[in-house]
Amino acid sequence: MRTLFLILLLCLLPVVVVVQDFLPILPPAQERIQLLPVLFCFGALALPFIPALFFALATALIQGLILLQFQSGQAENGLAPAIVFFLCWTIALQMTGEITHGLRWELHALGSFLVTITMLGGEFLMICAKRGGLPLSIDVLTRVAVPGGASLLLAPMLYLLLKSFVPITSEGSSANNPVPYDL
Amino acid sequence: MKKLQTAALILLTLAGLFFCFLGSGALSRMQSSLIGFLAPISQSGHTVKSSIGSIGKDLLTLDQLETEYSRLDAENRRLRAENNGLRDLLEENNHLRQVLGYREHSSFLLVPATILSHDAGVWWNTVKVNRGTKDGISTDMPVITDRGLIGKTTTVSDNISEVLLITDENCKVAAKVEGTKEQGICAGPRIGNGDLQLTFLSKLADLQPGQKVYTAGVSGGVFPSGIALGTVKSFHPRELDGEATLEPTADLDNLEEVFIVTGGK
Repeated sequence: MRTLFLILLLCLLPVVVVVQDFLPILPPAQERIQLLPVLFCFGALALPFIPALFFALATALIQGLILLQFQSGQAENGLAPAIVFFLCWTIALQMTGEITHGLRWELHALGSFLVTITMLGGEFLMICAKRGGLPLSIDVLTRVAVPGGASLLLAPMLYLLLKSFVPITSEGSSANNPVPYDL
Repeated sequence: MKKLQTAALILLTLAGLFFCFLGSGALSRMQSSLIGFLAPISQSGHTVKSSIGSIGKDLLTLDQLETEYSRLDAENRRLRAENNGLRDLLEENNHLRQVLGYREHSSFLLVPATILSHDAGVWWNTVKVNRGTKDGISTDMPVITDRGLIGKTTTVSDNISEVLLITDENCKVAAKVEGTKEQGICAGPRIGNGDLQLTFLSKLADLQPGQKVYTAGVSGGVFPSGIALGTVKSFHPRELDGEATLEPTADLDNLEEVFIVTGGK
């Protein structure tokens, strides 16, 4: 059942990547909704440590490849930043999950918000480091904050949807919620 | 079980390191394969989105339909009249060309394509179109609409290609300003707001709002000469050069049908 859940999450990754391209654009400055960090957060919290790391690697590969840009045949950024980013967040979320004794919807929502804003902020800083200059403005903050807010709001919906597939027991109960399982 | 976990962790580390140190060529092939893999989902998504859009269109009231019919009827009559006038002009033009022995102006081989989706990346301006290597598309081909340039192909899979829009900072186009000798490099700002920036102009350039800007067609470059790019909104001199803000000629927010330039006729 749990292996099936990991496979389900891996299958959902490409679907989510495509679906987020078709979601409506948010005002005021045409910000895009990011679903991938929301799904990643769920996987990172719900899966045991090692499968969660594999899931993070798969997320990093998909996100890294989708956003890869080439300049004169050379990749602007490789996959390393995405891999490091998602692996670090997986470790952090797993540790937080232990503190809160399992997966909770509040933790998932907050995690989704933080992963989204750090991902977008990191992408912006990486572009600035590569191309030079750091044009910080209110537009940059809006472009990071609005998708972050959207993730925060969407996370509980995805949580409820995915919870029906995953063998998670009552929230907050460490006795009934042995989320990590052996590989 | 402990051994299995250790083995999994080692495998994960090796896989992570392998992907971290991949070269640009391998990454490009992987990206192309991923886009190809996602193509059926993208095309299904586009079909669903179009169907949802058409449901909305069907729900017009009778008054709206009547107004729309009147508008289209008037437009049809206007276009017929215009077409008749243009036919006369075409005949006259052909006659003059023959008389003067001019060669027909260069034109392009175009492959029509439909925009499937706008990519969700916040800092990049890219769209996906439903044409790929099977349709003769390769990387670095200009993409245009009937109104002007919109970008170039970057990653191409069998059935889907990614197009980098001219509003992206990475899509640099050599451009010239109509009625002047001014030439510069046109690209989008890093924090895109839909406008273009034309830089490396002369500080003393006398550009006026409304002047048209076309591709300059640099030898060996991606974009042929003479494709409409935008109109000047404002100009301001900088320390070493002049910079103009342009409004793109093509409506990049409502793209549906585009053409990929695969070569010249």
